[in-house]
Amino acid sequence: MLGSLIKSTLESTLRRPLRQPEFDASRLGSVAIALPAPNGLTVPAACAAVLVDRGGRSRRQAAGTRIAAHDGETAWCVHPGPYTCELLPFAAAPEIGLRVHFAIDASDPRATHQRFDLFLASEAGCSVELAGFVELAQTALQRELAQGNLELPPCTTLDEWNAFRTGFNQLLYTRFGVTVDDCVPVDLGPANDYAAMLDARLAARLDAIKAPPAAREQAPGAAPVPEAFVPACEDARALRRLFLELPCLMCAVRMAVMPADQGRFRQHQELLRRLDLVSLAVGTMPALELAAPGQPLAQDEQLRRARHSRRAAAALDEAWALLARLKVAGEAPLDTLFDEADRIVANLETEAGARRAISAREVERDSELEEA
Amino acid sequence: MSMIQCRSIGLDGGLLTITATRRPRAGRADVKCSVPGSPAVAERMQQVVRLARHTEPRFDSREQVVLSLDRAPDEGARDWELAAVLADRIVRGVFTPQREVVANGWSDAWHLGRIDGRQLAGTPDGVLLGGADGVPHLGALNGQADPGAGVSSARAWFPMYSGGEHDGLGWVEVSVRPLARAGQVEDDPVSVPDVDAVRQAQVAAVLAGARHFDGRGQGQWRTTVRFGEPRFAGNSYELALVMADRMARGREFAARGRVIATGASSAWHAGRVESVEALAPKCALIAREAGPGDRVLLPKEWENALPQGMRDALRARGASLACVERIGII
Repeated sequence: MLGSLIKSTLESTLRRPLRQPEFDASRLGSVAIALPAPNGLTVPAACAAVLVDRGGRSRRQAAGTRIAAHDGETAWCVHPGPYTCELLPFAAAPEIGLRVHFAIDASDPRATHQRFDLFLASEAGCSVELAGFVELAQTALQRELAQGNLELPPCTTLDEWNAFRTGFNQLLYTRFGVTVDDCVPVDLGPANDYAAMLDARLAARLDAIKAPPAAREQAPGAAPVPEAFVPACEDARALRRLFLELPCLMCAVRMAVMPADQGRFRQHQELLRRLDLVSLAVGTMPALELAAPGQPLAQDEQLRRARHSRRAAAALDEAWALLARLKVAGEAPLDTLFDEADRIVANLETEAGARRAISAREVERDSELEEA
Repeated sequence: MSMIQCRSIGLDGGLLTITATRRPRAGRADVKCSVPGSPAVAERMQQVVRLARHTEPRFDSREQVVLSLDRAPDEGARDWELAAVLADRIVRGVFTPQREVVANGWSDAWHLGRIDGRQLAGTPDGVLLGGADGVPHLGALNGQADPGAGVSSARAWFPMYSGGEHDGLGWVEVSVRPLARAGQVEDDPVSVPDVDAVRQAQVAAVLAGARHFDGRGQGQWRTTVRFGEPRFAGNSYELALVMADRMARGREFAARGRVIATGASSAWHAGRVESVEALAPKCALIAREAGPGDRVLLPKEWENALPQGMRDALRARGASLACVERIGII
């Protein structure tokens, strides 16, 4: 009797799952979108796990299952939302904004890769906080508006608003893999008081003139110090993005356009071929700190290389935005869009080439020779 | 390959001419500058142009721009800087002026788009002048507020029509500066230099009404309103004034180009926009002057009477048109 009791207790102890690793899921769904999850964790309710291997391939695990990461895989716990945020479409107009409700896309069975998973793999680094994500989305929106690819003019009419919404939804879906549920213009006056902002700006300028330089340096929090540009980190981050995202981008560009005639087909093929070469160039990019094997490169040249990497990553952002425009465009504006694509790919090629060069002089050497 | 010219007045009073050409890049530098007998100025010109390009949202590596100055400027002269920046923009189609550009201005912060001043004495007609009393930053060419300045000012344009030869687009500029923090309870001070008392009172009343409709901006700002041409009749400038005020206070979506508006109202406190006179000539004027990125705002009543093809013609040029019955969104 006693023996059987001990036996059953022992068995149940053995059968009970291993102790759960520590994980705080309370921030998920409110201030955090994705948090790194330890192996062996049971995925909390309403969340999903995304596992990414070193090569950027991803898979998902549903809520309730236990995360079983293979060797080399990183796992995140992702809460699909919905989330609410406020975006500022124009930096010069801080009192008018957009209130956006969005959700992380559930895995789409038709897609070969989930865009949000790719975002996690290439850009997340560690955790994805809502505030940081909103900043990325705002940057993407502001750039599209500044370039005139999306229009939100003064006294926007209903038709213009609808066109904007279509483009904006597609932009966020194509660039980040999130779906926009709702988006309304909103008065941000109470939160961003422009008069108070200008007042602070004027006061800061006065202080800067009055205060002696020594006191200025010590004044705490007078102006937010811009994030330092560390060449090694910036370069690694940008190249990792290019390495992971270019193949997916090419795949999407191939599918987004169905060439109507022979000319368009050639144009499309040429574009893909050039993207392929950029992707190859990124995959074989020399190390930042080496001029040649065993030969170190000067610090300022490393800085120059890192800047080119970052500019290439910026061109990549533009390419995703262009893909969003390709998806909503009909046949009519294809000429313009292909010209844009040509510009973006040319920028990618230029930046990748300059990143490869060991000195600024080398980048422009051909021209010197030719014109001498 | 295309070629344009931009001029600037030198310290000696003579004209300097900057010629800009655009050609395929073919592996060459993005900007190439040449100044006869003065490689240092050429180097500075390349630096200025590259810095100013940082304020543009679109980057194109496919082309090279070659800038050349017809003669070396005098020692220490810097007023050609603005002309070089504009030449670089015009040849690439980033900025499309209506007439030949003569520009004088220099800056120590081209990467912020700021134009610090000019060496040129006096204010000759038809010259784009850099500096606080002229064009204080590059965005101001389209009437936009400087995102880095402590005083926010924005411009909007309106058609001035009297049937004479001086018809054209006039501008109104609204500058707002935050009222002192001391919590003064006074009426919003609005000053309008160079116009008569009647016009001053009218401008103040329009602003008060529109801000009342807005629900914000009362008791916050010290406002200065300037007109490009202070002598004109009529009240069709009101909508442009209200739009400039909303842009300056950071409460309106931005146009990429200029805002060109005509319209008046007997009830700005309700945000209503009402019709004004001279539809046909004003539309013709706007259709002639509007450029890429410009936003044209007309009263709703005009919608069915617009000249045929005006909307499409504007769209083909990259401008957009809306007929509004109220200010604000939708």
